Amino acid sequence: MRQLQLFRTLILRPLRRDLLRTALTIISVALGVGVVIAIDLAGDAATGSFRSSLETLVGKTDLEIVANGGVDERWMAALTALPVNARFAPVIEMQGVLKPAGSVTVYGVDFVSQGPEARAATPLARDPNSAIVVSSGLAQRLGLKEGDHLPLTLSDRTQNFEVAGIADAKDAEFILLDIAEAQRALNQYGRLDRIDVFVSPHEDFSRVEREVRVTLPASYRLEKPGTRGEENQRMLRAFRWNLRVLSYISLVVGAFLIYNTISVSVVRRRAEIGVLRAVGASRRWVLRLFLGEALLFGLAGSLAGIAFGRVMAEGAVGLVAETVNSLYVSSRPAAVALDPSAVAAAIAAGVAVALFSALAPAREAMHVAPVEAMGRGAHEHHSRTHARRNLFWAALAAIIAVALSQARPIDDKPIAGYAATLLAVVAMALAAPAVVTGLAAGTRGASRALFGPEGLLAVRGLAASLARTSVVVGALATAIAMMASVGIMVGSFRETVIVWLDTQLRADLYVRPAAHAGAGEHPALSAEVPGLVSAIPGVESVDIFHALEFEYEGRRATLGAGNADIVRRYGRLRFLPGEDRDAILRSLAGRNRVIVSEPFANKHSVRVNDVLNLPLGDRLVKVTVAGIYFDYSSERGFVIFDRSTLLKYLPHLPATNLAVYVRPGADPASVRHAVEARLANYRVTVAPNRALRQNAVTIFDRTFAITYALEGVAIAVAMLGAANSLLAMVLDRRREFGLLRYLGAAPAQLRRMILLEAGFLGIAANLLGLALGFVLSLVLIYVINKQSFGWTIQFHPPFLLLAGASTLVWLTTVLAGIYPARAAARLNPIEVIHEE
Amino acid sequence: MNPPRLELRRASKTYQTNGQKLEALRDVSLVLEPGTITALVGRSGCGKTTLLNLAGAMDFPTSGEVLIDGRDTSSLREDELTALRRTRIGFVFQFFQLLPALSVLENVELPLLLAGSQKAREAARNRLEWVGLVDKVNSFPYQLSGGQMQRVAIARALAHSPEILIADEPTGNLDNASGEQVLALLSDAAGRFGATVLVATHSAEAAAIAHTRVQLRDGRIAAFERA
Ligand SMILES: Nc1ncnc2c1ncn2[C@@H]1O[C@H](COP(=O)(O)OP(=O)(O)OP(=O)(O)O)[C@@H](O)[C@H]1O
Ligand SMILES: [Mg+2]
Repeated sequence: MRQLQLFRTLILRPLRRDLLRTALTIISVALGVGVVIAIDLAGDAATGSFRSSLETLVGKTDLEIVANGGVDERWMAALTALPVNARFAPVIEMQGVLKPAGSVTVYGVDFVSQGPEARAATPLARDPNSAIVVSSGLAQRLGLKEGDHLPLTLSDRTQNFEVAGIADAKDAEFILLDIAEAQRALNQYGRLDRIDVFVSPHEDFSRVEREVRVTLPASYRLEKPGTRGEENQRMLRAFRWNLRVLSYISLVVGAFLIYNTISVSVVRRRAEIGVLRAVGASRRWVLRLFLGEALLFGLAGSLAGIAFGRVMAEGAVGLVAETVNSLYVSSRPAAVALDPSAVAAAIAAGVAVALFSALAPAREAMHVAPVEAMGRGAHEHHSRTHARRNLFWAALAAIIAVALSQARPIDDKPIAGYAATLLAVVAMALAAPAVVTGLAAGTRGASRALFGPEGLLAVRGLAASLARTSVVVGALATAIAMMASVGIMVGSFRETVIVWLDTQLRADLYVRPAAHAGAGEHPALSAEVPGLVSAIPGVESVDIFHALEFEYEGRRATLGAGNADIVRRYGRLRFLPGEDRDAILRSLAGRNRVIVSEPFANKHSVRVNDVLNLPLGDRLVKVTVAGIYFDYSSERGFVIFDRSTLLKYLPHLPATNLAVYVRPGADPASVRHAVEARLANYRVTVAPNRALRQNAVTIFDRTFAITYALEGVAIAVAMLGAANSLLAMVLDRRREFGLLRYLGAAPAQLRRMILLEAGFLGIAANLLGLALGFVLSLVLIYVINKQSFGWTIQFHPPFLLLAGASTLVWLTTVLAGIYPARAAARLNPIEVIHEE
Repeated sequence: MNPPRLELRRASKTYQTNGQKLEALRDVSLVLEPGTITALVGRSGCGKTTLLNLAGAMDFPTSGEVLIDGRDTSSLREDELTALRRTRIGFVFQFFQLLPALSVLENVELPLLLAGSQKAREAARNRLEWVGLVDKVNSFPYQLSGGQMQRVAIARALAHSPEILIADEPTGNLDNASGEQVLALLSDAAGRFGATVLVATHSAEAAAIAHTRVQLRDGRIAAFERA
């Protein structure tokens, strides 16, 4: 009770009196917590649930039979003949494009079986080949009813379908198609994507599993439903981890600000604390008092952060979904839902950060001796900062950081790398006081010569309140370092990708089905298309490319096949240093030799001349890795055959892309028109080289939009901190400003002085931040990115961008000084000089 | 004939706090001439500091006027007031009010620097020599005793050779010996530099060096003695 009342008078009342600063601190915590929540919620929503929406209609599947390159439908007969009480349902899954609704999942199912999927299709339309069943959710959204006609694009063709039935599947959205029609559309006769197994509740599940296993070839997999979803989540884990870590940076910046706020609160109340101690307050009690203040900030900030986060998540979900779709797997974002566990975690993080950052100043308060109550000039208490000792700890932290950056990933996550970045930030924060004093001493003469007495006073004032100054500089520097490091990483990555695109994209035209949806989707080209294109005059050669999603050692990757000879002749692909491209490419044709992309090699620890056991169709194939090439298009990784080899194992594999090389001297534009005209009946896109490149860069930029947004928030938090601290400084140095007025300072001189201090803070923060940023960018590029995604980024710092951004941050710091500067100039000198 | 350097004409000051009126000064008239020391004495709360603030043009009367060289301080613009403080008025405070971040020399230079003077360093050194603290130029305030700090404060108040020196209980925080040194400096300021010195004090010694003693009671002049 007593404590609560004292908490009110000692902590709450001053907070209320200083409403602006209180609000700034709470807002900065709220922003930090909000970003963490937003990224978590947006990540959940963007990756959606990977559960098959077909389940809403047919019920839970017990087993799924899958195989690389598809399941041969001949096995259906053998399976249905098994003496088990189970139902086997063939499924083909693809993405179709519906004019009004956009991309939609289409399932090819057996319309003449006994399952609920077939029952939904009765009464059958007059022409079963052009009949579809629409799920109730989709029908409702588009206002469809039985008998309506719909144009649906599958792979490279659009066809008019009649709605034969509406399947009751709650709000799930999908379309059912007869399986034969689906195979025709995918140009995959005789192949299934999977066979769903439904085991009767009266049947022994493991017996069914055993029977099925022995019936099928060893290269086939029996998966529990949900395996695929888990696989997707796992694939996205590194991506989400990195995003999440990035989202915590604002909170780290916020930690500096809480530290600052509590420090101010302690410094101002030293005499008060002394009195309390003199009248009998215990040390623990004083500690609790200030931790209570921090708790208040943490709780208030976190609660406000939930609302912030919810709103920001709506904005973030689109950005995250875009990245997920272009780099990983097609998914449709779900609605943002406020997940209680995410909220609880964020509140816990906010409160923990608040308490942790308040620990040092609260302990300082605890050690205030009762005699300080008698000390008249609390203001003359000069803060003891141990610049030199801190420098030692900074060096130690830096050394440990370097050691950690050499460590291997743990559970696929660059944990040690993250720890190294955090330690680097700590090292910077510890070095900040020494840097500020050094800078102040070094620039004293210059700033006095340049800015006169205001310059001298500004530099001296900052050095005098070193403890506070270093915290603000630390917070700003962290935000700047984050901006610089991510900027360098993204800039380097972008440059690397652009250079890579140059070698990668050598053909003049690229042809692919229009229904292409996202990563992991490889719609087929009709069988006759490559021939049609090759026959066009002006076309020199056509590289026919086959891509399909496959699984290797439990991870999804892309299996591809092209014409190694064409690739070699046009100088495509760049291999790791020391590998001879020509020799590698020459060695592929007709042999069990493959090349793999760098991310694949890193993920599976594969080296040149290693032998991979690839399950392909009904067989297990041993292939030798002939070379490892650079690739930045997908972190899932590629395994590339020569066509001649892959078609031997998967003879029905349809082509998915064409790379068209124009004869020298022929006009690429007119060849393109000829190709478009020839393929007018197919839904394909014919993209010229330049468009594809531009598109790749656009996707790249959109992928990193979220990163820039996160940086923006961290910078905003740091700005709030700068304004907050400058304001605190003005309040604390009121007497000094009053005195200066007595000594003949004009109000404009005081304003200038504060702005100079803000400018000096900005410069110190920029110096430290840029230095730290360069170090962090090395960790990001060579440790975190490499370990998370498996690709090597070349170091290309975007100097111009960095210079621009740091100037902008510097200007904003000065701007943050405007309000405090005005406040200082408006003080009444008589009042402040006489108050104690 | 020149107008008197500093003159108060029926100056009154009323404070409004929470709807209550408080008359800190009532109808005070005074004329202060160059080279003289005037001591303000009286009980705590009688209005000494209030009067000093009016005399130093830091504050303004609610009625009546304060004239410096014949000009009404209430009629001066902000920049004119700043100029006045830079050239003509110096202040000494009970609690010294040195800036802890600045060295002794820098503290004394400060008013000159703020005024944009070119020879700040030299003038500051001269003043420190005068108060007998040249050997402390590079020390910081926390390294000085109270008496030394007050001498630095006096050097600072006189750095720009003001014609008016205003001191609010300059010996209030000092022991006798230090107090005497400070008082000697104030006498010197009036005698050697011809400054008009106005000092509020509780100490008899301080009052003793003054040419004129003004006794305040409840904001009014209760007694006026010339030594
Ligand atoms: N800003 C203010 N607002 C309201 N009342 C004030 C203010 N400043 C002074 N007073 C009141 O005016 C009266 C005179 O105050 P002043 O500071 O001039 O006294 P003083 O003679 O200097 O006292 P001391 O010897 O204790 O310094 C006091 O009653 C005081 O409470
Ligand atoms: Mg007084």
